[in-house]
Amino acid sequence: MAHSLAMEWEKLRPFHKTSRTVMLSIGLAVSVSAIVSAAMASGAKHMTAADRHTFDSIGISLQGVNAAVLAIAAFGVLCMTREYSTGMISVTFLAQPKRLRVLLAKLVTHATVAGIAGICACAAAFAVGQALLGTQGLAVSWSAARLPAALTGGVLYLVLLCVWGIALGALLRSSASAITWMASILVVAPVIVQILPTDVVHRVERWLPSQIGTAAMSTHSDPHLFTPWVGLAVLAGYVALTLVAGAYRMARTDP
Amino acid sequence: MIEVRELTKHYGPRTVVNQLTFRVDPGAVTGFLGPNGSGKTTTARMILGLTDPHAGSATINGRRYSELRRPLCEIGALINPSAVAPSRTAIEHLRWLAAANGISRKRAAHVLSMVGLDSAGGRRVGGFSLGMKQRLGIAAALIGDPPVLLLDEPINGLDPEGIRWIRTFMQDLAAQGRTIFVSSHLMSEMALTATQLVVIGQGSLIAAESVADFTERADSSVRVRSPQLEELSRALAVEGASLWRVDDALDIVGVSIEQVGSIAARIGAVLYELAPQRASLEEAFMQLTADACEYVPVQRGA
Repeated sequence: MAHSLAMEWEKLRPFHKTSRTVMLSIGLAVSVSAIVSAAMASGAKHMTAADRHTFDSIGISLQGVNAAVLAIAAFGVLCMTREYSTGMISVTFLAQPKRLRVLLAKLVTHATVAGIAGICACAAAFAVGQALLGTQGLAVSWSAARLPAALTGGVLYLVLLCVWGIALGALLRSSASAITWMASILVVAPVIVQILPTDVVHRVERWLPSQIGTAAMSTHSDPHLFTPWVGLAVLAGYVALTLVAGAYRMARTDP
Repeated sequence: MIEVRELTKHYGPRTVVNQLTFRVDPGAVTGFLGPNGSGKTTTARMILGLTDPHAGSATINGRRYSELRRPLCEIGALINPSAVAPSRTAIEHLRWLAAANGISRKRAAHVLSMVGLDSAGGRRVGGFSLGMKQRLGIAAALIGDPPVLLLDEPINGLDPEGIRWIRTFMQDLAAQGRTIFVSSHLMSEMALTATQLVVIGQGSLIAAESVADFTERADSSVRVRSPQLEELSRALAVEGASLWRVDDALDIVGVSIEQVGSIAARIGAVLYELAPQRASLEEAFMQLTADACEYVPVQRGA
């Protein structure tokens, strides 16, 4: 297993396209958080005292993480599909014939990178968002009680999406179809759900990964959504199912 | 040593590899010959554990590929030279392979210089020609300094200089006592490189023997030039020989060269030339694979 981890780490180390998606995800998290926070700050003068009281300062400044997930999921997808599309996966299996170890090594190395990137993205997004919100007195302090949970939720959301990307890549083997699926789940599905009748929306939206992510980073509970930990457990369930299917295909079907 | 026993693979109703049994010994370049689509690549992939056989087994030094702990140090393989990430440099590609089997990082630069790519080590593989990718693939096969090498069509895309290089390179590796198994559909090239042959047609074994034995099995003819070809033809036909005119000479099949000489002496024919015509490896191959099913597999010299 140590050799498999060394192999995947050595593949990741040179800073190529795949790793660039990680930087992209951090950049997206920070910039989108900045835009959202700046917009909120500019509207602050119209806020009532009640509005200020219920204002989800932490959730708003972590909004950018929702934009970063697609990039981090693509990072996971590409680590599998780029090997299948070039045929390099055969060379990988020559070096490590135990295919599930290859999968495990990819999961460990990429989830680690996604975790570190996630911490940077969440912390930076929060810092920038708070700085902008602070101009209107809407900031919370770094010692806010619910901050650790929200930041952990954001990081876990990113790591789970990276793992989901790897699983989907192992299952579909094609960058185009795996990323299309990922984008459909994260971006298209919420839009489609929103045009359904309100009572249906309230029953369905909690199951959407994007809503689970939002809820995990929010400090205000929405009765129509899962609580942060239940939501993340549901998301982990989706990931686990895809992972089992991907592992099965990887082990059983010729590369 | 590579040993293949009763190896069989079906794709749907089609049997691609059919009860293939042969052995590849160390110290020689063994050519793996067969027309395109005869099952060479499928056999290679089964030896390397990339494709599961439906029956039979393939072992490298007595163990299946999946049982090898550091496979790159036991067998080096080249199956698809384009199977590299185009954005990685040549040296980066070799470094992750080295890491995968706990091989020293220095080995990457070493094998790169062995294949003559030292100056291209820092270049992205995406910009490599097919010939350079072949060389990189061979460097990758050598990364673990393995005693066995399996190269699938390594001369595809190489220029004449490259073909000559790989020919002597493989012969040198065999002279070091390594097992070299090279597949090709180019008979003429194998005639120059290999001393042993495994020949398959439609997934079945046609021959596993030395190049010399293989060419000997093909029909050889005798060529005669004489001013009295008419008389000679009649006398030879009576003896049961088949013959045909080639310009001012006669090619004879079915009687030995000694018989031809005796018959010529008996009828008092003057001979300008009496010579054996040995079939080339290519002709032997064409004859023996013309209809693979007609020929019973022969295993010799094992």
